[in-house]
Amino acid sequence: MSPKMMRFLFMAPALVVLGVFFVYPILLTFYYSFTDFTGVGTPEFSGLKNYDRIVSRSRYPDALKITVLFTVIVVVLQITLGLFIATLLQRLPAVRNFARAALFTPAMMSFVIVGYVWQFIYSPYNGGLNALLTSAGLEGMTRGWLGDPNTALIAIAIAHVWMFTGYTTAIFLAGYANIPSDIEEAGRLDGASSWQRFRHLELPLLAPSITINVMLATIGTLKTFELPFIMTRGGPDGATRTLSLEIIENLFRSYKFGFASALAIVMLIIVVLVAFIQNKYLRGREDVT
Amino acid sequence: MNRHKITMWIGNIFVVVLVLVMLTPVIYMILMSFRTGEEIAADPLGLPSSLYFGNYINTLENMDYVRAVINSIGITLSVTVIVALVGSMAAYPLARNTTGWGRAFIMLVALGLATPAFVTITPIYVIFRSIGLLDSYLGIILAFTALNLPLAVFFYVGFIGAVPRELEEAAKLDNCSDFQIFWHVIRPLLGPATATLSLFVMLMVWNDFTYPLLLLTDPDKFTVMIAVYRFVGNHNIEPDLLFPAAVLGSLPLLILFMIFQRRIVSGVTAGAVK
Repeated sequence: MSPKMMRFLFMAPALVVLGVFFVYPILLTFYYSFTDFTGVGTPEFSGLKNYDRIVSRSRYPDALKITVLFTVIVVVLQITLGLFIATLLQRLPAVRNFARAALFTPAMMSFVIVGYVWQFIYSPYNGGLNALLTSAGLEGMTRGWLGDPNTALIAIAIAHVWMFTGYTTAIFLAGYANIPSDIEEAGRLDGASSWQRFRHLELPLLAPSITINVMLATIGTLKTFELPFIMTRGGPDGATRTLSLEIIENLFRSYKFGFASALAIVMLIIVVLVAFIQNKYLRGREDVT
Repeated sequence: MNRHKITMWIGNIFVVVLVLVMLTPVIYMILMSFRTGEEIAADPLGLPSSLYFGNYINTLENMDYVRAVINSIGITLSVTVIVALVGSMAAYPLARNTTGWGRAFIMLVALGLATPAFVTITPIYVIFRSIGLLDSYLGIILAFTALNLPLAVFFYVGFIGAVPRELEEAAKLDNCSDFQIFWHVIRPLLGPATATLSLFVMLMVWNDFTYPLLLLTDPDKFTVMIAVYRFVGNHNIEPDLLFPAAVLGSLPLLILFMIFQRRIVSGVTAGAVK
């Protein structure tokens, strides 16, 4: 048997699985997006109607705005917090391993459980957050956190950040471990303060882990629908209706397969585009520093 | 020197407090699971007055937890075995030769990693319905396999790429076929990679609820997360149902995490860094 044939045979099972359950479905989604398919019967071709609806109704650009806002809030909070904690732990070897593992715990949990538990924490009826505020003498601040359009999105974002900060921290710590110890040592001998070492030595050398963390957090958050799906179903008044949630609701609730497919294609293009641009920009930045 | 020590201690105490604050929701979840709904209403932040297991008994009876755990474990193990086997086989030639089709295949795998699950879920639902795989163990296993395969291929390509070629060349001189080389030389070396990968797959399959929500309708086939979702969701968020269900749903993975925490944290991070 020729080596070429042999190579193909090794890859054949994976090709079949990916072909049938990944490539073919993507092509079908693309096809459905031009139809009015509702899950039963044969899909009827409807041209650009679905895409036209996405652009012309304010509901979908609004959902995109909410998605972007949500992603920006999550990424900024998660990266800042993760970098801060990792930098702290880098300087405190005694508690490093314990804290890294403990902070990772929420990432082991399911969106279903995180969503339900935080929903109850935010609840206006016996919820933990309001009770905490009341016992601290801040009754004025209590509210139904998920029922108030001003706080619902940020409340969900905090639950999301809570879940993945430990993950971000662990990646930053891996980045720290890659910094040669003699560089750190040299900084210390030169009498650089902790902040100076961070700003001028560590931060530039952490560029690759910043790239990875920003990209993972951005893509992960863009496509997430789980927490809004569990916690608010997009409410109140559409305040947490992200694009990904919109797709899932069109599928599960109203069986608008054709329209959901068009939204999914738009989302796929956005995700791939953002990943491409971020990769290019952040990798470029790594080379400069 | 002394000042340095004091700073370190303040830092350590700060980190311990920070960790406790971050883990508050988990601690809250566990504490509340031992309290009745009336107790929580009377004092939302109170500690359990006794080790009350009534909520758990109620949940175990109504959620069909044991059945769901068995389903989840069965599905997780099947997916892990298939993904590890199919993924490592595909990775072997890819790790050695990345020209032409191999390159295209790697691109496909990369696309697979970035593609959100909801892009492919509708057609998978339609395909499954037409070939009778809807609401079947085989269907959900195949769907999860496809979802996890790109990661597995990436993972193994990196790992096999680091295996010295001399081993294979020696085997070739002994007239071993390519498949024999893979099975007897390469595969035994993949243990650590497979262990890390299976933790990934386990985490993903155990915690996901989108696929089972759409692809499974028979309560006898429900995974743990879908059982929790239906159980809590059907009861309008009552704390004495929510918290024990949340603890029971997370417990198996949290135990696994306590045993393998080092391997899981370093594995998940290494997977991301590559």
